[in-house]
Amino acid sequence: MATNPMHQFQVHRIGPEIKIAGFDLSFTNASLFMLLSAFAICGLLFLGTKEKKIIPDKFQLISELIYNFIAKMINDTAGSKAKPYFPFIFSLFMFVLFCNMLGMLPYSFTVTSHIIVTLIMAIFIFIAVTVIGFIKHGFGYLKLFVPSGVPIVLLPLITVIEIISYLSRPVSLSVRLFANMMAGHTMLKVFGGFVISLGMLGGWLPLGFSVALTGLEILVAFLQAYVFAILTCIYLNDALNLHH
Amino acid sequence: MKGSDNFKTRLKIATDKLKKHSNNLNNDENASFMGSAFKLGTELVAAVAVGTIIGFILDNWFDTKPWLMIFFFFLGSAAGILNVIKVAKRMQEKE
Repeated sequence: MATNPMHQFQVHRIGPEIKIAGFDLSFTNASLFMLLSAFAICGLLFLGTKEKKIIPDKFQLISELIYNFIAKMINDTAGSKAKPYFPFIFSLFMFVLFCNMLGMLPYSFTVTSHIIVTLIMAIFIFIAVTVIGFIKHGFGYLKLFVPSGVPIVLLPLITVIEIISYLSRPVSLSVRLFANMMAGHTMLKVFGGFVISLGMLGGWLPLGFSVALTGLEILVAFLQAYVFAILTCIYLNDALNLHH
Repeated sequence: MKGSDNFKTRLKIATDKLKKHSNNLNNDENASFMGSAFKLGTELVAAVAVGTIIGFILDNWFDTKPWLMIFFFFLGSAAGILNVIKVAKRMQEKE
């Protein structure tokens, strides 16, 4: 077992090297865990919707709970206009949740602890929301950057500030998820290392911390998936119902 | 007359109790509070970073190092505080 706490984040190739047009498209452990989470989601929902019982079994109960949870969240934050985007937000939430949760298993790899993964998702959401906003409102969407009731003198300054605030959305969205996952997993490894180096005499305290941190990490894994999904809803809400 | 009043107050007490109970059942309220707490910090930092990066790029375009970067750093800070105010407003609306 490596003692370096950052060793767990290394991406390494599984199987042969594949290069297409100068890009390294080899199958890595990151790809493996993305596939695993996709299969796990499909498996759970397949088992949950296989037979529709009046008294649900566990899988059906879980699927229905998640469905209700997401449907309620979208309705509360983005209103009924956001119903057509339910499949996207549902898949997004499930994917982030399962990547986070699979990362909690020992010896596994946390896909969401890499900023490139979260940044790509965030930029995709950002571009999609912007395009939806322009489709729904035309150039009226630009009113988002011009708040009403501002004196003419301050308007250029405020507009620039609003644009920076808008552009910071994908950054804050991706950095939050990535930083939380990476910090938590590094901390777990550091405390795990303390247990080994302090031995039988002093190792019990960091072991207790490790147990507590594991619980906290599971909470964070869920919360970050939730925050990622709810922020997508909030951005969608801005695009669908222009408030300013 | 007295009997119907009695019934009305009893009904009100019962519905209030039910409402309280369903509010207590609403666990995602708690989750969203913790979610907001996680949100605030990165909102502030991200806007400052984005502002500074925009200033840096514009500096390279117009050859005005380092003035635009400094200017956009302050604009970014303002945007960060604006972000935090927006999130805080949303939290208050929910209550």
